[in-house]
Amino acid sequence: MLAAARTFALLGVEAREVQVEVHVGPGLPAFSLVGLPDAAVRESRERVRAALVNSGFKFPQQRITANLAPADLRKAGPGFDLAIAAALLVASDQLSPERIERTALAGELALDGSIRPVAGTLAIAEAAGHCGFEAIAVPTANAPEAMLAANAKVIPLARLQELGSLGTDDEPRPPAEPAWSQNGSRPAVPDLADLRGQPFLAYALEVAAAGGHSVLVVGPPGAGKSLAARRLPSILPPLSRPEGLEVLRIASACGRASLIDSPATRPFRAPHHTVSTAGLVGGGSPPRAGEVTLAHRGVLFLDELGEFSREALEALRQPLEEGRVTIVRARHAIELPCRFMLVAASNPCPCGRGVESGECECQPASVRRYRAKLSGALADRIEIAISVGRPTAADMAAAAAVDSAGVRGRVIAARERQERRLGPGRCNGDMTLAELRDACRLQAAAKRMLADGHSRLKLSGRGHDRVLRLSRTIADLDGSGRVSEEHVARALTLRRRGFG
Amino acid sequence: MSGEAPVWEFAKGEPGFPTQLLDLGGDAPERLFGCGGVELIRDLALDRCVTIVGSRRASSYGLRVAEELGQLLAGAGLVVVSGMARGIDAAAHRGALAGGGETIAVLGGGPDVVYPVGERRLYAEILDSGAVISEAPPGRKPESWSFPVRNRIMAALAAMTVVVEAAQPSGSLITARQALDLSRELGAVPGPVTSRVSEGTNDLIVDGAVPVRGAQDVLDRLLGVGVSHARGVGPALEPELARVAALVERGSANCDAVAAAAAIAPADAAVALARLELLGYVCVDTDGRYGRTTLSPPDY
Repeated sequence: MLAAARTFALLGVEAREVQVEVHVGPGLPAFSLVGLPDAAVRESRERVRAALVNSGFKFPQQRITANLAPADLRKAGPGFDLAIAAALLVASDQLSPERIERTALAGELALDGSIRPVAGTLAIAEAAGHCGFEAIAVPTANAPEAMLAANAKVIPLARLQELGSLGTDDEPRPPAEPAWSQNGSRPAVPDLADLRGQPFLAYALEVAAAGGHSVLVVGPPGAGKSLAARRLPSILPPLSRPEGLEVLRIASACGRASLIDSPATRPFRAPHHTVSTAGLVGGGSPPRAGEVTLAHRGVLFLDELGEFSREALEALRQPLEEGRVTIVRARHAIELPCRFMLVAASNPCPCGRGVESGECECQPASVRRYRAKLSGALADRIEIAISVGRPTAADMAAAAAVDSAGVRGRVIAARERQERRLGPGRCNGDMTLAELRDACRLQAAAKRMLADGHSRLKLSGRGHDRVLRLSRTIADLDGSGRVSEEHVARALTLRRRGFG
Repeated sequence: MSGEAPVWEFAKGEPGFPTQLLDLGGDAPERLFGCGGVELIRDLALDRCVTIVGSRRASSYGLRVAEELGQLLAGAGLVVVSGMARGIDAAAHRGALAGGGETIAVLGGGPDVVYPVGERRLYAEILDSGAVISEAPPGRKPESWSFPVRNRIMAALAAMTVVVEAAQPSGSLITARQALDLSRELGAVPGPVTSRVSEGTNDLIVDGAVPVRGAQDVLDRLLGVGVSHARGVGPALEPELARVAALVERGSANCDAVAAAAAIAPADAAVALARLELLGYVCVDTDGRYGRTTLSPPDY
C-alpha cells in the first residue's frame, strides 16, 4: 500500500518542502530509503523500526520502500524520522490517512518512541505556513520557537503514539508564545559603565553604534579592547520583530535554540583567530552558516586581527559589502544573510608593546606583515580606528563616565534621524556615495576643514568619503541637520589611518 | 637595477675631486663615480655639508626629527649628505628635498645601482636636485661589507655628522667613530632612555657628542652661534589649542589623556587634536599615539 507524509528539509537557513512516500508491498522483508539521503537520514530506518516497535505499533514484515522527493535535493539530518514513521504507519494501515493529511511533520525519533528536538524549527514552521499547511507537528521542545512563526497551527508532540490524536479533540494544545522581551526585561548584557578610564573609546563605540560603522581598536594587551567590544550590543537599538525573527531563524537553523529564551537580543560572536575561512563566512557540505551569519543583526568581534589568516579576512569582503553570503555548490546555491557590525582589535605589533615604545622586539618585516593585514582586505570597510593605552590605577578607581542606557538613548535617536533620511532599517554606514553627498550639507568652515584635511593630512578619495560619512553620524548624534566644523574635526580624529 | 643617468667620475686628486676626502689619507677612494649634479660635487666645500645618518629601524620620532633636520638644514643652504638607506637616511634626504635644498646620497654599490630597490623614487628625486656618488664602479651591486666602507666617505665629506637614532651596536656608530677620527664635528639627537634605537645616540652624548635638539644646534656649531636661524614657525594658536599642544608635548598621547589633563570632554579633545594636526603642531605615530612636531607657535 502507498502513503505519503510531508516534512521539510533545511537548506542553509531556509526550509524546502519534502514529500515522504512509503510503499509497503509483498516480498522479502526489507526497508530501503531512496531520494539522496545522507548518512543520518539513512540511519533513520533503524530509529523508525525501533521506535515503532517500542510504541506498540507493528513493524510490517514486508518489502518497504521510502522515497524522499524531490529526489535531486540532498537531505541531511535526522528531522525526517517522524514523517517516515507516519507514512509507514499509514501505509501499513495502523494510522488513518486523514490524521496527517493537512499537517506537516518534523522531528527526530528516539528508540523508545519519544520525539527529540530538531534544528531549524522556526524556518520549518514559517515554510509550513507559506506552503498552505493547516498545522505543523513539531517536537515539544521546539514548539515555543515554532509559535513565533505565527502562520500555521503548532502541535507539540512528545511521543510517536500521539500521531493518532492529530486532527481530533485529543490533539496536544499549542504552548504559549515566548514573550517578546522589550527594553524592560532585557537579559543582562554587560554594561558600558565597566569601561573605566577610556571615555574616548566609549565615544568611538557610540559613534560606531549610531552609524553602523566598523571599528578597529589598536592597543597593547590589557587595554580593555575586548571588554569594550563585548559591551557594544548593550548600546545598539533593540531589534524590531522582523529583525529578531531573522536572528532567531538563524539561531534555530544552527541549533542554537537557547537564544529563543531571549528574543530581541543582538548576537555577539567572537570567533578565535584560528577560525577557518568556511567557519568564518560559511561553507562545507552540506553548506552551513558561518560566524558572519551567526552575527547577523549583531556584532562580529575579531580579536587579534593580525593573527587571522589572510584568506579568512579576504573572504569577509563580500559579506561586508553586500550583507549576505552566497555559497555555491554544484547542484544549488544558498544565500545566507549577514548584516553585522564589525569590531576588530589588534595589538600595535606582534609582541604587543608597540613599535614606538622603544621596548618592541619585533623584526621590522614581521611588523610590516602584521600591519599589512590591518590595512589589507578589510581596510576599506573599517571606518573608525582608535588607539588605546592601558588605563592607569587611578582610571580604574574613577567613577564610570557613561552607562549603556544613556548612550543607547542617543544612539536610538541618531538612528531615527537616519531612518527618516534614508528609509527604514538604513543607517549611515550603508549610504551610497550619492546619498552621502546628498545627506552631507557642510557649513563653510567644515568644508574648509575637510579641504585642509585633504591637502595637509593626505587623505585619499576614499578616506575623504569615510570622514564625511563619520561626520554625518556625529552630526546625527548631536541632533544637527548640518555638519559643522566640530563634527568634521571629530571625524578626522576617529578616522582610520594608514598603519605601518 | 640600473638607472639611465650618465655616470661621471673623478680620480683622486683630480680637479673637482672633493678635497676633504683626501683627509682619509691612504683610505681615500682612488676614484669617485657619480650620477646627477656633477657641479654640486665639483664645488663641494667641507663646511657646507652636514651628514645625517641613523638606524634603518627608526621610530617615527626619529623619522620626524631626521626629516625636519634635513628640511631646515637644506633650507638654510647646507648640503645634506646621507646613505639613502631605509629609515633615517631616507627621511633626511626627503626632508632636504622638501626644503628645496641640495642633497647627496653616498651608495654602497655603483652610483647607477638603486639600493634599496624600494627607494627608486627617492633616487630619481635626488638625481634631479642633488647627486648620487660612490667609489664603486657603475653596475656593481652592493655587498654587505660595502656599507661600513662607504660610511667613511660620508663622514669625510661633511664638517659635521649627526646621528639621529642608533641602537648599540650600529653602522651609524661606525660613521660617528670615523667622523671623530677625522676630527669632524659629531652631533647626536637625544632620545628617550627607554628606547633601544636611542641607546647609541644617548651614549654618544654622554661621551661628548654635541646634543642636537634641532637644526639650530647644527647651524650654531657649523656657522657660529646666531649666524643663521632655523625655526619652523607655525600659525598662531588660540589659548585653548596652545594648552592642548603643551599637554601633548608633555606626553598626553591620546584623546583620553588630553581630555583628563585638560578637564574637557574627550570629544572636544578630539576636535582640538584634529585642529592641531591640521595646523602641523601634532602628528600621529604608527602606533596611533599623538606627539608634538618641532613646529613652534609664533610667540614661543
